[in-house]
Amino acid sequence: MFPTPSTSHVDYDQVYEPSEDSFLFLDLLQEERSFIQERFSDSSKLGIPTVLELGLGSGIITTFFHNYILPQALFLGTDVNPHACKTALETSRANNGTRYFDVLRTNIWDGLRPNTVDVLLFNPPYVPADNLGSYESSIKSDDWLDFALLGGEDGMQVTKIVLDQLDFVMRDRGVAYILFCFRNKPEEVAKAMTDRGWSVKKIGERKIRWEILSIWRFSR
Amino acid sequence: MKLLTANFVQCSVKACSATPKCFPLHFDQQTADVPLELAHEDVDFSPEFIYNILPRIDWPALLITARELGNNMLPETTPEIENPNAPENEQILRDLHTLLLETQIIQGSMRCENCNHIYFIRDSIPNFLLPGHLVQ
Ligand SMILES: C[S@@+](CC[C@H](N)C(=O)[O-])C[C@H]1O[C@@H](n2cnc3c(N)ncnc32)[C@H](O)[C@@H]1O
Ligand SMILES: [Zn+2]
Repeated sequence: MFPTPSTSHVDYDQVYEPSEDSFLFLDLLQEERSFIQERFSDSSKLGIPTVLELGLGSGIITTFFHNYILPQALFLGTDVNPHACKTALETSRANNGTRYFDVLRTNIWDGLRPNTVDVLLFNPPYVPADNLGSYESSIKSDDWLDFALLGGEDGMQVTKIVLDQLDFVMRDRGVAYILFCFRNKPEEVAKAMTDRGWSVKKIGERKIRWEILSIWRFSR
Repeated sequence: MKLLTANFVQCSVKACSATPKCFPLHFDQQTADVPLELAHEDVDFSPEFIYNILPRIDWPALLITARELGNNMLPETTPEIENPNAPENEQILRDLHTLLLETQIIQGSMRCENCNHIYFIRDSIPNFLLPGHLVQ
């Protein structure tokens, strides 16, 4: 078991506190370690891999990834929450840092060039909700925490866009890890993505109180 | 934001992404309220790391970015390096390391040549959020 990165400096009034979903992510990435290391062992022709995390929050997943799963990579991450953007950089530094980690404040991956990403990590806002907060009102209140969990219809409003654009963003050997809850209907998603030519695998799930969280791997 | 990251981003306006002018974004016009500020930040040097980055770079775009930020030292095309650990390659790899990984853009702005939208960088974080455009 690799140790959980330290996040003692993080202000949880402003940034999503690492929770059961984050910890499931860390545990399952650990099980995927040899798959990932093998897939990206040869950087000479295709170049060094790029790892992108959407919705960094505290940055705990990216930090874990550069420390224990794939140290030799270029790390990029995004969040809409400006406090999360800053905090994620601090978390990486507080845990020894890595050679290359930059954060973009953006919606999902807007602004990123197509055909850029080798490994995608996403613990999304997955909880079904009637509607999402508006960006304008969050700027006024400086409160971004609703964006951390509320995922609109079926909890899929953000994840659906990610899945629809996956083809443009991922490089040929790309692999994406995305977390779902039961109400996101992950089996249906898996079927639709398989029909679109992705190879899809559930890498694990965990029952947490009334919720079942699972993480799925999408690769070409 | 590291200088190399300018090689991985483009204008986030949907209508621009189909035009070649959306990349690279330009540092040639800066504003008075967020003046350009660069800093040097030490990063461990690894010849292999830099060497493995080379195939990931769009070199013509990097030349534009580097020039706009005041660096005219880059060769016109991607350097051809066989062995990253050969002594004769150390200088070029060190220079690239300094430019690509150690040059931090602390603040400033990037402009899209197609729509002229300006993206600000503050505290080393570029902001690509467009007003009213969180989740479509
Ligand atoms: C469930 S939290 C996960 C945080 C962190 N990765 C973790 O595992 O602890 C989801 C994160 O996604 C961010 N987020 C929500 N909607 C987003 C969007 N449209 N674009 C980018 N980030 C978003 C939230 O601000 C929040 O930090
Ligand atoms: Zn534009």
